[in-house]
Amino acid sequence: MLRTIIKKEILENLYSYKFTVITLLTAVLVLTSIFVMYRDYELRLENYEILRPTAKQPVAIIPPTPLSIFAKGLDENMGRSYEIRFGGQVMVGSKQQSVNSLFRLFTAPDLLYVVKVVMALCAMLFAFNTVTGEKEAGTLKLSLSNKVGRTVFLTGKWIGSFASFIVPFLLAVILCVILVTLSPMVQMDGEKWLKLGLFLFSSLLYLAVFFSLGFFISCLTHRSASSLVISLFLWALLVFVIPNLGNITARQFVEIPSVERLEEKREQIWIKEVFEILNKETRSEPDFKNALSNINSENARLIDDYRGRFNRLVDITKGITRFSPTAAFTFLATDLAGTGLLDERRLKQAVLQYKDLVWDRPIDSGGNIIGDFPAFSFQRCPLPEVLSADGFINLIVLILFNIIAFSAAYVAFLRYDAR
Amino acid sequence: MTGTIIYKELLDHLQSLRFMVGFVLCVILTVSCVIILTHDYSQEMRDYSIRLSMNDDFLEHYAHTNRVRGVLRAYKPPEEFRPFVIGVPRDADLGSFDDNPLPAIFPPLDLLFIVTIIMSLLAILFSYDAVAGERESGTLKLMVSNSLSKAKILLGKWIGGTVSLVIPFLFSILAGGLYITIHPNVKWDSAAWASFFLLILASVTFISLFYLLGILVSASSRFSSTSILTSLFLWVLLVLVLPNLSPYVAAQLYRIPSVNKVEREAMRLTNIERDNLGRKLSKEVNERYEQQYGQIFTEYQSLSKDEVRRRVAADPGFKAMHEAYRKEFYQAWDEANRIQREKADKLRSELVTKADRQNKIAKTLACISPYADFVYVATDLSGTGLRSLSYFKRVSGEYSGLINKYLSKKSEEAAQKDPTFNENTFLDVSDRPRFSYKEEPLKDRLEGVLPYWGILIFFNVVFFAGAFVKFIRYDVR
Repeated sequence: MLRTIIKKEILENLYSYKFTVITLLTAVLVLTSIFVMYRDYELRLENYEILRPTAKQPVAIIPPTPLSIFAKGLDENMGRSYEIRFGGQVMVGSKQQSVNSLFRLFTAPDLLYVVKVVMALCAMLFAFNTVTGEKEAGTLKLSLSNKVGRTVFLTGKWIGSFASFIVPFLLAVILCVILVTLSPMVQMDGEKWLKLGLFLFSSLLYLAVFFSLGFFISCLTHRSASSLVISLFLWALLVFVIPNLGNITARQFVEIPSVERLEEKREQIWIKEVFEILNKETRSEPDFKNALSNINSENARLIDDYRGRFNRLVDITKGITRFSPTAAFTFLATDLAGTGLLDERRLKQAVLQYKDLVWDRPIDSGGNIIGDFPAFSFQRCPLPEVLSADGFINLIVLILFNIIAFSAAYVAFLRYDAR
Repeated sequence: MTGTIIYKELLDHLQSLRFMVGFVLCVILTVSCVIILTHDYSQEMRDYSIRLSMNDDFLEHYAHTNRVRGVLRAYKPPEEFRPFVIGVPRDADLGSFDDNPLPAIFPPLDLLFIVTIIMSLLAILFSYDAVAGERESGTLKLMVSNSLSKAKILLGKWIGGTVSLVIPFLFSILAGGLYITIHPNVKWDSAAWASFFLLILASVTFISLFYLLGILVSASSRFSSTSILTSLFLWVLLVLVLPNLSPYVAAQLYRIPSVNKVEREAMRLTNIERDNLGRKLSKEVNERYEQQYGQIFTEYQSLSKDEVRRRVAADPGFKAMHEAYRKEFYQAWDEANRIQREKADKLRSELVTKADRQNKIAKTLACISPYADFVYVATDLSGTGLRSLSYFKRVSGEYSGLINKYLSKKSEEAAQKDPTFNENTFLDVSDRPRFSYKEEPLKDRLEGVLPYWGILIFFNVVFFAGAFVKFIRYDVR
């Protein structure tokens, strides 16, 4: 009986208008997104090749990761060059996108964005009238008046509907992944494939949450129109409001100095030291070394203070926003792709370690450190570390949301008046 | 009769579940946003005051002409509209090691989000069954079978629906405005209030546009279920997809050189190459003076500052040589600076020209989406957008020019008092001109946003015309 219901759901959806619209939207969006982000990745890779330092340049820079095609996250930020200058100052290069001001106004249309915003909406649109639609058509009471149990009926509907929703999406994604990874510019190893696989798996989990929520709302209401209204508002709440409001709410609990203030303080630190040394009647080598050491230690103090506050802000933000599956999915997806807060933090720590290695060498008149420098090396977070840091928790959160949403739908359906 | 239809539409919506849910969501969101963002704004004002006094304190002890220009800059205060519209993040491209990347992952919530996402979605929800729903319930044929023209029905539906949408929006935003009025840290003048009301007007234009889109789709469909799916499909394309794609597509269509490479080259020209050229030119000056003054000049170069002051005070001939040499020495370095700065400026301006072109392409592409047009209107009217950043750049450039003249004059005066004064000697700049920022006049901002507002009105007209044509041919049975 379960198979019959699943088959019926799939066939019904295949002939429906919503399937056509949603499949078309999915195909267009996934293809466009991956194509655009692939070209963006190419540009960033080209830029990296241009900026790659020689052995005479104390510059830390990492190439973009191919997984940023799917979840760009903070990869543009992480791809900036970090040049170590006198006194241990870290000069950060501009982003290639900084000259086009429109990048600041709009969000990157990567696969992560497509899944977390658009596909989540599509999942709810697919599910909002699964029960109410049948009730309005009069077929629900006919189905339930037979010996098919509500559990089997609900499960069959869920599986059939979800399968007809998710299969076109998966096909589009797999096709694009294959096309993109055939390019010689996209170098994928075993670990990256595993991360990509896990990213797709977590996308399925995430979409299943919204699908189950749509189902649940359909089991709570008796009219498709009401179900639609509630579904759309719930979608807006979970996808936009909680994560974005959570971000600005967290800032109320942790005071962080502005970026401008920090930069001005940094500038004042080195100007003060240079001014004092140049105005000494007699200057010796130890005086210069002292001045550079002061600049380095003052900057290190600023960084430590800022990092401490920022880490607290991130923890509070994560705590607040995890009430939304969108936030949990975003953190997980970006960490898997190596473009999230986890890798951003690790990169900055690596840059500081590199700075400690090279900062106290001789400098020229332009303030540049001279000599031969070891190459900067940085590996994005390996999968076991991603999972043990926060990844596992985020995965559990998504699974929990699935269980809660489906259980709620089940309980609501058991009590549903099918007449 | 149109009045009756408007009244009927209004009543219908006011009694519906979607209105209640929309009203509650709108009010809660707007008021929470305004409260949180106002608190943010207070914190930013505090931070701004700290920066100003940090700067004053620093200059009191360490001001000198060689390196102080970077510190003697114009400071932009937090925009007074921040409690409503966050706009373009100012620190996004400061190139700082310690930046906050969270807004890149979760863009903050503000009035712009509420209008562009929540209100436009609400507009679609209110209008998707305006025609198809009435046909399904059988009331449409009853209306049309009377002496009521289809044009009046459509007009009544549009006005009634838009008014019922605007009610929760106005209520929320005025509640926000009231909070701003009583908050001690936010002081708006008449220009700010005028911008506020213009922003409300622009928001109503945007909301009406999506309502008309919903009616158009409804008048093109036989069933509400078809209408809602098509409307949402179009909404996703216009609001979520097209604007976000535009800068990326523009970056592909018109490529620009590597920003970092240009920056590095410009730094090399103004640092290392400048130093080399400066040394070469000043060496020529030294050689000329050695030839002219011989031993006296060689001795002069090894004297301490105190000894120079004594000789200058005692010997007029020595003083003349010292002043002439110093003038030519600094002219040599000024020349080196000028030559290298011109080369670096040429590089930078080529990049800026290309970047502007890419920007224009991206903006033009994004204009296809009413979302992008509204974002330009709202951020520029509120002084939180790209226009405000360009305006500040211009104004701070003028201030830099003023400061440069002031520093030159002060250096000359100081050099006359102390013969050993150089670019690394302390300079008292307590009487420097202070920067005071005034937002661009509202009239100019309004002129700048009129084309985009015009596009929004154009969309309204096109959607209304389309809905009208479709409705005229609609089979109401």
